[in-house]
Amino acid sequence: MQALRKHIHPGWFIIAPLLILVATLYLSPILNILWLSVTDPEPGFGNYAKLGESDALVRIIWTTVRICIITTIFSVTLGYSIAYAMVHCHQKQKNYMLTLLLLSFWISILVRTFSWLMLLGRNGLVNGALQDIGLIAEPIAFMRNELGVLIGMVHYMIPYAVLPLLVSMEALDKRVMDASRNLGATGTQTFWRIYLPLTLPGLVASTLLVFILSLGFYVTPAVLGGGKVLMVAEYISVQLLVTLKWGTAAMLAALMLFGVLAMLWIMSRFMKLSTVFGGAAR
Amino acid sequence: MQDKQFMKEMLTDSAHAYKDGRMDRRTFLALCGASGVAMSSVMAGDAQAAADEVVMWNWGGQSVECHGSAIGDAFTASTGKGVKFDTSGPLEGKIKEMVDSGNVTADVADADLFNAVSLGPTGHLEPIDYSVVSKEKTLPGYALEYGVSVILYGYAFVYDTEAFGDNPPQSWADFFDTAKFPGMRSLYKWANGSLEAALMADGVAGDALYPLDMDRALAKIKSIKDDSLYWGSGSEAHSMCVNGEVSMGMIWQNRGRNIETDTDGRYKLVNNQALAMPGAYIVPKGNPAGAAAMQFIATAQEVPAQLALLECLGMTPSNPAAFGEIPEDQQHYAITSAMNIDKIVYNDPTWWGENGGDAVNAFLEAIS
Amino acid sequence: MLDTAPTGSLQIRDVSKLFGSFKAVDGINLEIQKGEFLTLLGPSGSGKTTLLMMIAGFLDISHGDIALDGSSITNIPAEKRNFGMVFQGYALFPHMSVRDNIGYALSVRKRPASEIRTRVDEMLELVQLQDFAERKPTQLSGGQQQRVALARALCFAPPVLLLDEPLGALDKKLRVEVQEQLKDIHKRVGTTFIYVTHDQEEALSMSDRIVIMRDGAIEQVGTPTVLYERPATKFAAGFLGKSNFVHQAGKTFALRPEKIDLRAGQGNEGARASGVIRSITYFGSMQRIIVDTSAGDEIEVDIDVWRNQEMLSEGADVDLLWNDEAAVELRET
Repeated sequence: MQALRKHIHPGWFIIAPLLILVATLYLSPILNILWLSVTDPEPGFGNYAKLGESDALVRIIWTTVRICIITTIFSVTLGYSIAYAMVHCHQKQKNYMLTLLLLSFWISILVRTFSWLMLLGRNGLVNGALQDIGLIAEPIAFMRNELGVLIGMVHYMIPYAVLPLLVSMEALDKRVMDASRNLGATGTQTFWRIYLPLTLPGLVASTLLVFILSLGFYVTPAVLGGGKVLMVAEYISVQLLVTLKWGTAAMLAALMLFGVLAMLWIMSRFMKLSTVFGGAAR
Repeated sequence: MQDKQFMKEMLTDSAHAYKDGRMDRRTFLALCGASGVAMSSVMAGDAQAAADEVVMWNWGGQSVECHGSAIGDAFTASTGKGVKFDTSGPLEGKIKEMVDSGNVTADVADADLFNAVSLGPTGHLEPIDYSVVSKEKTLPGYALEYGVSVILYGYAFVYDTEAFGDNPPQSWADFFDTAKFPGMRSLYKWANGSLEAALMADGVAGDALYPLDMDRALAKIKSIKDDSLYWGSGSEAHSMCVNGEVSMGMIWQNRGRNIETDTDGRYKLVNNQALAMPGAYIVPKGNPAGAAAMQFIATAQEVPAQLALLECLGMTPSNPAAFGEIPEDQQHYAITSAMNIDKIVYNDPTWWGENGGDAVNAFLEAIS
Repeated sequence: MLDTAPTGSLQIRDVSKLFGSFKAVDGINLEIQKGEFLTLLGPSGSGKTTLLMMIAGFLDISHGDIALDGSSITNIPAEKRNFGMVFQGYALFPHMSVRDNIGYALSVRKRPASEIRTRVDEMLELVQLQDFAERKPTQLSGGQQQRVALARALCFAPPVLLLDEPLGALDKKLRVEVQEQLKDIHKRVGTTFIYVTHDQEEALSMSDRIVIMRDGAIEQVGTPTVLYERPATKFAAGFLGKSNFVHQAGKTFALRPEKIDLRAGQGNEGARASGVIRSITYFGSMQRIIVDTSAGDEIEVDIDVWRNQEMLSEGADVDLLWNDEAAVELRET
């Protein structure tokens, strides 16, 4: 025991129960999934081999990645403008905007999804209005397709994109921008050479957050895609609940996990991820 | 043996006492510990059985009220046992998960008969006790070892009378003919019903559907894919019609009446070639209420319960004795009524139980 | 060695700044000469930083006009004014190397890389940071960062350099050293320096002229000597160095502690006042003696320790002596 104490800092004993709890609650389900992916229905890498055999699986994954990338680009770009506006307007307006932003967190995703149908559906308000004023003869197909999925997802993701950016922009020393102007830089130059690089950690954090959350999207693509936009999360859920192919589901879940980890690893080659996750930039 | 019996009784009594609040949790746990029994097993097993109730696992919404009034009241009156509801929806995966985890909390699941085919042989279901439940009180072929059809629902379609009022579509062949009947269609996303409709549209006779020719069915499905939407829930199917997104929509036939009402008759239900789906009650293996589940199922088979379910949920009776008693205003909407029963085709739960998983995946892959 | 920087004069005419109904700067008139080192001195809230920000172009002018070499710059945006500025806390670009920081102004003006390189090298030499060119600002000490900020602001040879409390973040010892360097650099580049501080020692040691500000207005303008020797108001006298206020014949005079002599006992020839020593504090080379006069003033006297051979002690009676010119009559404010 004495020897043990010498090698292990006593602090570890204090946090050990917590560590064990975290390990049990987080790691064991993940390990269980990995285990399931190589044991169900039979031991081996048969589930992973399906990726090579089934065009459909590859297509589902590709659809998912494509939609997530487009969603991320739009959410983060729009989120960046919103965060910028919030940081640079008056405190009172900023509070309004923040309230509206947070308000959307409290509205269930189902309600939001169906609201889009009411608004942009075939007989929705927008199509109705456009037809009434004679701008279009046939309703525009905003919904029940990939465009609909993207609209719904971007709408859902924007608050998630805004928050990390807001934190990053608020932490910025405004005098640095004054300094740039003072040194003769135009607004555009200041943005590209100073503002953007300095908010890059927030931008990366927001991109990661939105992309990873988008990967798990399920309700929005199912409803707004008219059933034709099948993403991995929904496919996994069907395999778990309907077709009972738990091995396939586990394999896809593991694949998403590894995909995200690989993405983080690649990014860590180019930048210090600790700055993205709020660590000190040194 | 004597010892074990005593122990069990003591624990059951304690569980009662604990539930009623006469015994605190710590004492109860100590007793469980002393007799080497995990608390959960006592609670889940004997304790709940002793609590004199049956837990029905259904899909929530209207069905809680309807199952309660149509079956629960009569069941309680005849057995003295209560009925409770778990509304989380007994999908096949959830039943499997519940039984595999050893923590079975439901007695009767409102599922599909094909679930009985796929989950029964793998040991996830209790066999139906046909000394309590009657094979005569359902359609022939729908009383299986692990499940019995208590109601029927169906896949039919509705059409937009403003689009096709003069020359209404009559069959699945018309449904799939987007040249003659232009407009969007909606189909069920999880393959069931959609495949059969496609085959009938392609000329397969209603009594020669099984085994399903998947390639042929999917080819037909794909032929109208650009004009199709796919729904995953009854409310979605409903809204696609009510919002005018489709000119013809496959629906669960029990929704037909609502859609006709909600659109002021603009959409009309077509029952010709409707596919009758045996909705079944199945019992998860090791269910807490034990044999009482069978009495509950038997109660649901009785004619008054059958008619009450039709009235309340639009679910069609599967007990032939009830067919003749379907009231006038329900005739049109009940697929086993005198006016419909000759037009319908029947789902084969055995084919679906054995091939459903692959069929769903193949369908999803075809439409996505 | 260095290109002679262009240098400009500034004319500030009746300039005011209102924040709502609050007058932060109130009707300032000021001429700043070419190549001058001018300090805006005042407590916080006196309007000195607001005035500087208006000169820089970061704040709009509510009323009045600012001109460079006679032509108005009031409507020219900050980025077109070509004024260098050293910010409080330096505001260096943390993601750029020292070299890129210094060369930024030339780089945004799209000057050729070779020219930027040469000019930045000159600047690095000027502030003696040749060995730190590739470091990031966070890898430098406070003093080094201050020098980078200075080099960055001077790199494009601005006619006017604005400095906003540039030494505020440094410790006292370093500050004295940097003051010397700043003065030296001012001499070498010849640019007009407008320097904001609340530290009177800094102001006295570096400036050609000092503007003492109070409540958004100018209290007094002058060379350090004039301001120190002949403060016009009680505020100016009290803010710049230490001062006693003596009331005689219905007037108030400012009297610097080091300009008073002490004699033991009472009735000495030429005594201007007499009193009792309340306390004596030892400061190494000098002693600070506080005397309560019979007229009711409290007077502080600084005398060299070597002169206190008479062994003055607390409670002793003393006479106070001073020359006529030591007592400065103050304007009522």
